[in-house]
Amino acid sequence: MASVLGFACHLPERRVGNGELADLLGVDPAWIDQACGIQERRYAAEGESVVDLAEQAARKCLAASGLEPGDLGAIIVGTGTPQRPFPGVSASLQQRLGNAGAFAFDIHLASVGGLAGLGIACDLCPRLGPTLVVAAEIMSRPVRSHPARETTILFGDGAGACLVHPGPGPLAVVDWRMGSDGAFAEDLSMAWDGPLAMKGRTVILQAVRKLQGTVRASCAAAGWDLAAVDLFLFHQANLNLLLQVAKGLGLAEAQVFTNIGRLGNTSAASVLIAAAEAQDQGLLGPGRRIAMAGFGAGFTWGSLLLEGR
Amino acid sequence: MTFDDSKLRKAVERVAQAPVPADVHASLFEAGVVDSFGLVELVAELEAAFGISVADEEMLPSRFETLARIAELVRSKVG
Repeated sequence: MASVLGFACHLPERRVGNGELADLLGVDPAWIDQACGIQERRYAAEGESVVDLAEQAARKCLAASGLEPGDLGAIIVGTGTPQRPFPGVSASLQQRLGNAGAFAFDIHLASVGGLAGLGIACDLCPRLGPTLVVAAEIMSRPVRSHPARETTILFGDGAGACLVHPGPGPLAVVDWRMGSDGAFAEDLSMAWDGPLAMKGRTVILQAVRKLQGTVRASCAAAGWDLAAVDLFLFHQANLNLLLQVAKGLGLAEAQVFTNIGRLGNTSAASVLIAAAEAQDQGLLGPGRRIAMAGFGAGFTWGSLLLEGR
Repeated sequence: MTFDDSKLRKAVERVAQAPVPADVHASLFEAGVVDSFGLVELVAELEAAFGISVADEEMLPSRFETLARIAELVRSKVG
């Protein structure tokens, strides 16, 4: 199977603490922390676009790997907040990178967009060549345009990227799988520019079950014991959700990477940002076993296993 | 295993965040007995207490909103 050459991320500069949102929503800042484990998130600047964030993450990723845009066979962008219906963020990104000819397309999934892009790239890159996967979101605009306690507190902006290579590399992809159940399409949805509609109880119940199930299935397929996985990189949806998933899987606290307290839920970008930060902290080195997993609108869910070489 | 109403109430009380209503048709959500995350714990508690398995397609809040609805689900599994 394919390998990942490396991860990168880009975060907007503006930090938004719970105090600012508490004023907007008429709630206690402590309640926000208690409800989702988030103390701060990043917001894109006025005029900053999803393409801007995607480009920054993409260029960092390319520079770190030593590849040039012309080396890419495909560009995949995962986002739930594109600027327009078409063409996609991938087309604008390709225009900026200047690698005409590579196949560029968007994956219009929200929270699992980055993970799905990474998985699809694994199957695509043997045919097309090195594939750049980027996930970028500006969820702050729709959730601030339609303030709601349950959703506005969660989201931040950001972008993550990775390069998937058809040959051997520092992180071998051991397994990936995705699934969907459209019966829940209306339980987590957003029209253009919001509002975000979320049936919280249904989302939590299904997310916990599906995340645990997909992780178990991936690890069983790879012959990995859950206790032998060095690091779990879950979609950073809500700290309380992550803790429930970890508890159900019997994971130790040290096995579960979290950055949600600092960055909030960056939707499609979250697992790639988490992977980039884990990489920078030296947590994805040789011999390490890493399990990524996500759940989001659709409902759609999935997991992907990496092994450091 | 046969179904036991008091056993069900005790299982709910073990994860309850507020007093469990006497009325079996009262909403456990509106009474503050379980929130979204408490619901996950409630399912795990029921599975352990009754030795049952709740399928993915049964993981719907409406199935767990009242003691009566929970009893209906559990009863269908324990016979």
